[in-house]
Amino acid sequence: MTWTWFHRLGSPPYVYRLARRLTPWFGWIGGLLLVAGLFDGLVLAPADYQQGDGFRMMYVHVPTAWLSMMLYTYMAVAAAIGLVWRIKVAHALAASCAPVGASFTAVALVTGMLFGKPMWGTYWVWDPRLTFELLLLFLYLGYMGLRASFDDTQRADRASAVLAVVGVVNVPIVHYSVVWWNSLHQGSSVTLFGKSAIYPTMLAPLLISMLGFTCYCVAIVLVRLRAEVLRRERAASWIQEALTA
Amino acid sequence: MIQFLRMGGYARYVWPAYGVTLLAVVLNIYWARALLARSRTDARRRLAMLGETQ
Repeated sequence: MTWTWFHRLGSPPYVYRLARRLTPWFGWIGGLLLVAGLFDGLVLAPADYQQGDGFRMMYVHVPTAWLSMMLYTYMAVAAAIGLVWRIKVAHALAASCAPVGASFTAVALVTGMLFGKPMWGTYWVWDPRLTFELLLLFLYLGYMGLRASFDDTQRADRASAVLAVVGVVNVPIVHYSVVWWNSLHQGSSVTLFGKSAIYPTMLAPLLISMLGFTCYCVAIVLVRLRAEVLRRERAASWIQEALTA
Repeated sequence: MIQFLRMGGYARYVWPAYGVTLLAVVLNIYWARALLARSRTDARRRLAMLGETQ
């Protein structure tokens, strides 16, 4: 097996062009799936026998919570690759994931609070799942703050990458918190292997909107990645080409 | 229609949840595009400065 594809992914011009080519695909497919999934969830899915129409918050709460963990994992993996192989593009990718991840972690927390009030009787409890999700938000904000505190991009990359990699232990803790501790938060309704604890007509919109949110986020990260790559390139001849195209 | 908007009495929670999510979706598009536009402007300026010194 050749590793040329891996080496090419370390090349800023190649990544810039690839990101530009892929963005509309992820963006439009993500957008269409989002519209379909959320419409399906709001209108077509039947009301829950216990939670009535309130359960429809699931279609925004579960995907955003999923994004909060997925984007952190992407960020940590990219940061680790950047640390180990000293690939600048990997650091640029990690930096591009953070603001998107932070915003959707905040959304997951807010939609969770709105979900919690009618179902649990309270907006917030210091429950393991909620507390570690809040910690995830602080990890994102810490990562962004740490980056912003350095003038030198290379030093910002290395310092923030260490934080991203160390903080990734929180992701499985968030995921398994409902299993490990006695939590007010319910367990997973969707399982990758085996039967999900959700009726198919309720599950389908959830899976569609999760896929939609994921594609949408990839598109957003790719746009940010292009900005980040462009910012780091100092007077390279390909910038001319990138700007005119 | 009215019944749909009332969300079986959960309107106070369902609609803000969707509102916040859609706001984040729109803002993220705006932020990412603004960031790219700024990077392109800066890159263009760097190129122009380089052209003058050569």
